[in-house]
Amino acid sequence: MIPLEPTNPIARRWFLNQCGVGLGSIALASMIDGGRGRANDSRDPLSPKPAHFPAKIKNVIFLFMAGAPSQYETFDNKPELAKFDGTLPPPELLKGYRAAFIDPNSKLLGPKFKFAKHGQSGAEISEILPHTAKIADQLTIIKSMHTDAFNHAPAQLMMNTGSQLFGKPSMGAWTLYGLGNESRDLPGFVVFSSGAKGPSGGNSCWGSGFLPTVYQGVQFRGGGDPVLYLSNPEGVDSTTQRQSLDAINRLNQMQLDAVGDPEIATRINAFEMAFRMQSTAPEVMDLNRESQQTLDAYGAKPGEASFANNCLLARRLVERGVRFIQLYHEAWDQHGNLVKGITKNCVDTDQACAALVEDLRVRGLLDETLVIWGGEFGRTPMTQGAGGDGRDHHPNAFTIWMAGGGLKPGITYGDSDELGFNVARDPVHVRDLHATILHLLGLDHTRLTVRVQGLDQRLTGVEPAHIVREILI
Amino acid sequence: MMFRLFFGMAMNRFALKAVILLIGIAPVANRNFATASDFSPEQIEFFEKEIRPLLVEHCYQCHSGGSEKLQAELRVDFRDALLKGGDSGPVIVPGNADESLLIHSVRYESYEMPPKGKLPDADIALLEKWVNDGAPWPDEPPPELAGNANQFDLDSRRASHWAWQPLNVVTPPMVKQTDWPSSPIDQFVLQKLEAADLNPAPPIDRRGLIRRLSFDLTGLPPTPEQVDAFVADTGDGAVERVVDALLQSQHFGHRWGRHWLDLVRYAESRGHEFDHDATNAYQYRDYVIRAFNADVPYDQFVTEHIAGDLVEQPRMNPEQGFNESILGTGFWFLGEWVHSPVDIRKDEADRFDNMIDVMSKTFLGLTVACARCHDHKFDAITTADYYALSGFLQSSDFRQVRFQTIDNDRKIADQLSVLDGDYQNRIGELIAPHLPDDLKSELIGLLDKQSDHVAYLVGSPGETATVSESIEDADPSILVDYAKLDSCDYIQDGFIFGKSPTGLGSLAIETAESGSRVIFNSQFAAVSDRFWDGLVSTSENGVQQRGRLGAIPMSGRTLRTPTVRLNAGNIEIRVRGVGHIIACVDSHRLIAGPLHYETVVHVKSPDAWSWVRMNLGRYVGHGVHFEFVPDESQSIAVSLVTQNISNEKRAAIEHQEKRHQDVSTKLQQWLDNFTSDAETKGVEASSKAASAVKELINQWSSARSDLRKSVRAESQLAMAMIDSSGEDDHVLVRGNSSSPGPIVPRRFLSAIDGNDPLPKQTLSGRLELAERINDPKNPQASRVIVNRIWHHLMGRGIVPTTDDFGVLGQLPTHPELLDYLADQFNRDGRSIKSMIRRIVLSKSYQMSSEVDSAALAKDPKNLLWHYREPKRLDGESIRDSLLAISGRLDPKMYGPSVPVHLTGFMDGRGRPGASGPLDGDGRRSIYIAVRRNFLSPFMLTFDSPVPFSTMGRRNVSNVPAQSLILMNDPFVVSQAKLWATRMIADVPDPKIRVQEMYKLAFSRLPTDQESELLMQYVSTSPGSPNETLLQWTDLAHALINTKEFIFLR
Repeated sequence: MIPLEPTNPIARRWFLNQCGVGLGSIALASMIDGGRGRANDSRDPLSPKPAHFPAKIKNVIFLFMAGAPSQYETFDNKPELAKFDGTLPPPELLKGYRAAFIDPNSKLLGPKFKFAKHGQSGAEISEILPHTAKIADQLTIIKSMHTDAFNHAPAQLMMNTGSQLFGKPSMGAWTLYGLGNESRDLPGFVVFSSGAKGPSGGNSCWGSGFLPTVYQGVQFRGGGDPVLYLSNPEGVDSTTQRQSLDAINRLNQMQLDAVGDPEIATRINAFEMAFRMQSTAPEVMDLNRESQQTLDAYGAKPGEASFANNCLLARRLVERGVRFIQLYHEAWDQHGNLVKGITKNCVDTDQACAALVEDLRVRGLLDETLVIWGGEFGRTPMTQGAGGDGRDHHPNAFTIWMAGGGLKPGITYGDSDELGFNVARDPVHVRDLHATILHLLGLDHTRLTVRVQGLDQRLTGVEPAHIVREILI
Repeated sequence: MMFRLFFGMAMNRFALKAVILLIGIAPVANRNFATASDFSPEQIEFFEKEIRPLLVEHCYQCHSGGSEKLQAELRVDFRDALLKGGDSGPVIVPGNADESLLIHSVRYESYEMPPKGKLPDADIALLEKWVNDGAPWPDEPPPELAGNANQFDLDSRRASHWAWQPLNVVTPPMVKQTDWPSSPIDQFVLQKLEAADLNPAPPIDRRGLIRRLSFDLTGLPPTPEQVDAFVADTGDGAVERVVDALLQSQHFGHRWGRHWLDLVRYAESRGHEFDHDATNAYQYRDYVIRAFNADVPYDQFVTEHIAGDLVEQPRMNPEQGFNESILGTGFWFLGEWVHSPVDIRKDEADRFDNMIDVMSKTFLGLTVACARCHDHKFDAITTADYYALSGFLQSSDFRQVRFQTIDNDRKIADQLSVLDGDYQNRIGELIAPHLPDDLKSELIGLLDKQSDHVAYLVGSPGETATVSESIEDADPSILVDYAKLDSCDYIQDGFIFGKSPTGLGSLAIETAESGSRVIFNSQFAAVSDRFWDGLVSTSENGVQQRGRLGAIPMSGRTLRTPTVRLNAGNIEIRVRGVGHIIACVDSHRLIAGPLHYETVVHVKSPDAWSWVRMNLGRYVGHGVHFEFVPDESQSIAVSLVTQNISNEKRAAIEHQEKRHQDVSTKLQQWLDNFTSDAETKGVEASSKAASAVKELINQWSSARSDLRKSVRAESQLAMAMIDSSGEDDHVLVRGNSSSPGPIVPRRFLSAIDGNDPLPKQTLSGRLELAERINDPKNPQASRVIVNRIWHHLMGRGIVPTTDDFGVLGQLPTHPELLDYLADQFNRDGRSIKSMIRRIVLSKSYQMSSEVDSAALAKDPKNLLWHYREPKRLDGESIRDSLLAISGRLDPKMYGPSVPVHLTGFMDGRGRPGASGPLDGDGRRSIYIAVRRNFLSPFMLTFDSPVPFSTMGRRNVSNVPAQSLILMNDPFVVSQAKLWATRMIADVPDPKIRVQEMYKLAFSRLPTDQESELLMQYVSTSPGSPNETLLQWTDLAHALINTKEFIFLR
């Protein structure tokens, strides 16, 4: 590797002088009108497109609790399960059932924490989520989620792409494909990750699959360079980078004049957006610009990589028109060490989740934003491990919550049976959730299609998917 | 009572039923309007398991959307159709079997259905139960009603779509501008242009042409010397000379090999959670590069992919003499693999889906995988076609093959077998007359007929060996019995288990330091021969190797049983020796915890036969085969694999084994005496025979040692296919691996090749499949590849959707040209280089990229090729160009990949322990590791495909991230600096230096305006060397960032 030495700023300044104002000043002028308001350009796959019908929300923040939190310790209070703690589950229940790792015929494990009713809605929330409990009346809780997969990677892919197989576009990619990107200087689909390890599904969770790569999620980091190659090369400041860019544009312009190739103009635009991102992203990512009060509300600390910081960054991105934001927090796979593990997770995430919803509400952004909290599946009512302190993967019934525009706040939808084993009422499949989210964005899931290898592919796949109209205003 | 109530509540369907009964509504009436959410999972499961397969098997042929001719207007493939009924009215009354016409018909009470014969009573009872239960059916979209019976009519679909039609014999059309065409290709193109009143663009200038040719053929820019020489060469055939040189370049294989790798979702790791290594995938990549450089005829290349392990005369590497053909089969195994799948059968079905998908798109341009769950929605491809192909995969398996030695060692194995047979016979014939009669008859008494194994006793070889007290054939507890295995089921990777199992009484040689002796084998068993001790197999250094199988010395040393279905989990295997037993379930091989560790056990019973128990309860109902691998310098023998064996049976087996052991012990004692006493005994005949035997033993031993010297012990490994036991696959109803339907024999697509099963000359039938794919009768064989070549050279395929020639793909813009090219391709012996040459020498290829605005208005998408659209270089070419101009390019070929450079954004599970070098050691991009979870951001941003399926046509995007990379990626900046350094050193005059840089980067000279601008800059620069370098680096970086650098005009 060649050591990099500072590039001479004189050289860059020369370019600016020699190349005059020209394109540079036009580009600068276009920067002044700020973040939002991108021109509709049919050559640009990210230019904003009209929704199928009026949208309820503009933005989505998906708080992805990777590893799959236990519903029994968070939102799905099961006194019956407590009663049968230590007994074997009824054989009828297990017929045809398969757990990932345990013998399904393992003893039932009662809930580990106390529940109480909160808010006017009286939503039952466990004691380890004290902050979330305070926003109970903002939440739309779904206790009847179910999915097809019971291993992390396929289930995370299922939750993100609607399919357990690799190679399908993620929800964020579909959203950009359908609606384009409102932001002129930031990507429309941003992904953060915190916690012990990355999500099992890897990059495919935010991939663009068979859609063009412009739609894939862009990873941002809380610390360091927020976007890959966002920083100027060592020794080059923003002004010199600008000068360099102008030189490039000038050379391109000479070619454009000579050969009249419209592709050159598109290329120039790409450079301009990159340059804008270089100046905007660090500003957006700078939490020192937030008040101490806000930082405290989230539990955020500038300069630290944490879920709390990511929540606050998500709000800042939403303010700048970033359409789809995902926060992965990977730590919820409590096969053992349930009490300690899940308590830590809640300490790490509870306050920030609640603060995010509240902050959006206070700023008037919650009406146009959908916040989703949930994992890829649920946990078994049966215990895993001899210590009675763990739960296995369970796809039949689990809980998520949502908050934001277009939703009835303060309700609980659906229910699981007494053991929380199966959905007892109003099942919501992952496909139904996808259809509902797209609906809120103003997109008809049956019309948001792309023809790939002979089939009109869509997020919700070929099986029937139903919008959960009961939770919509 | 408490519990009952509790569960009634727990499952709402029960609660619902109770309510209905309580309030006295007849459930029957309501059931007509039942929807899926009214049926319990148990009811649906019953339907899927028992009822749907019955309907599919017995009724669908005449009563479904897929029926060629729908009978009585009745469909039974969705619930509403049964309720609505056909010509005779509704056929089911949910809740009341006795009133349902369907039930009457299957009881043969009114109609007699199915007409081929009455169903077994048990099946009728199932249908009754189902109707009485309310006819549960899952909530699924009804198979499309439009056209109904016509919806899937293979013949009409085939007749109505162009791609199924045979190649048309076409002659190049007449054109008006007869002086324009330089090849028949041009006549096809010009004819359409003339018809649209368009003119072809003028030819591109020489510099533009050589840059275009050089990138298209080698993925690298031409050197300034090449450019100058070409510009100076005004003689006839100058273009031909340049083209031929480029086709001969080693870099041709890099460029076209990379195109090919896009088709086969090439990667070197498995993705999923831990991004486990796809060990030795690079051998396949090198194979592809060599094959393109050698211009292997395309049909042979296809055969090698499908069945390179089975070809009679493998293609040998001309320099190193190893088997090239077998390496092609590695493509099957480049997909994603999952560890610890919970539903292991579904995991197999998903893997096969990907393999069929890639195979059919790559070689046929057809989306066969769309027919996994239902007949293809639009194309003449049936679900049966899909599962017919799936059968080839069921009949095949994965291995890491010792490709460098396999052919040599096969010859040695053949010689060894002849040699052993010869000495066995000669020694047998010598001792037979002296063998005491009682021993002889005791031995024969244990054998049913005269056996090959003991032919020496009576000299009547040819009859097959069976054991008199053998286990009855139908005994379900015996899964595999090496006493009576069909010879075609004696399958191994390598040769160490000999040509067949050993038998009781047969002779073997045992060599120890003290000398050699002949022994009588005591059992019918597969036995590994220590003749093969010392094989060394080498793999690339791994990055993530968590798989348990990787540590077992399997390559060339593995015996495998036929695939069996388990119906019990308690497996006992009769084994002697030291080594591993692997139960391979549903072809799953990434054993990396936490599940499936029970499928691998180690055995240590060097001297005695013992039962090895495996608990495979998890896999009851699954397809399983067992593999046996001796440890290094050990042997392993196996006689029986059993399931759920009774104590009596086990005792009987042990008893029989003991009798075998007893007689062979006696034989052995006799023989040992016979040979040792021979000289002292004084019986002339015996002693003569005995010395002859001893002499033969010595000869035998030394013959084996001599032969052993020819074994090539050391080999590299590569992923490859191996035949396993032939197995047809079940249709999986709606693609669901837990609802198997009827079996489909292995065959090629029925629209091309009819419905007859392929004759199976080999176990799997893959070689025959390859023949069908290559058959000129299959029009896709040549059209698809010719179209791909056209796509890469002309920027867009004649069929723009290169991987889908089906109804939903795009139509060919120039169908006659496509058929003309396909026909020429066949005549050229399917030479890819000849086809490339043909195209690039046409005037159509050599048109300018400057476009006339009037022409653009008429044909804005350039569908008629009135000019050449500028083409953005792919990521590999951009990176390789940077290396080429900076002088950093290392032209080294082949070998394990250079680890990918890891940025701070590439984190997560399976992250390689160390980052690769920023500049990839200067190697061409095709040699940079492709790890699924850690793909190079540079390549991804410039649209290199994510390797999940066939990608014959890359996206071409233009995003800010590309600009960020070109402006700020330290790799790009470092190459700019290297380039500047080299130019300052090589070219003292700044003005000429700028010209040289333009020649390197753009294959042209700067315009006066450009030159002037840049010269102003250098003339104002201060003089210190360091500042000079910085300025020139800056200049170089700016040139790299121009659009012209990453585009072809």
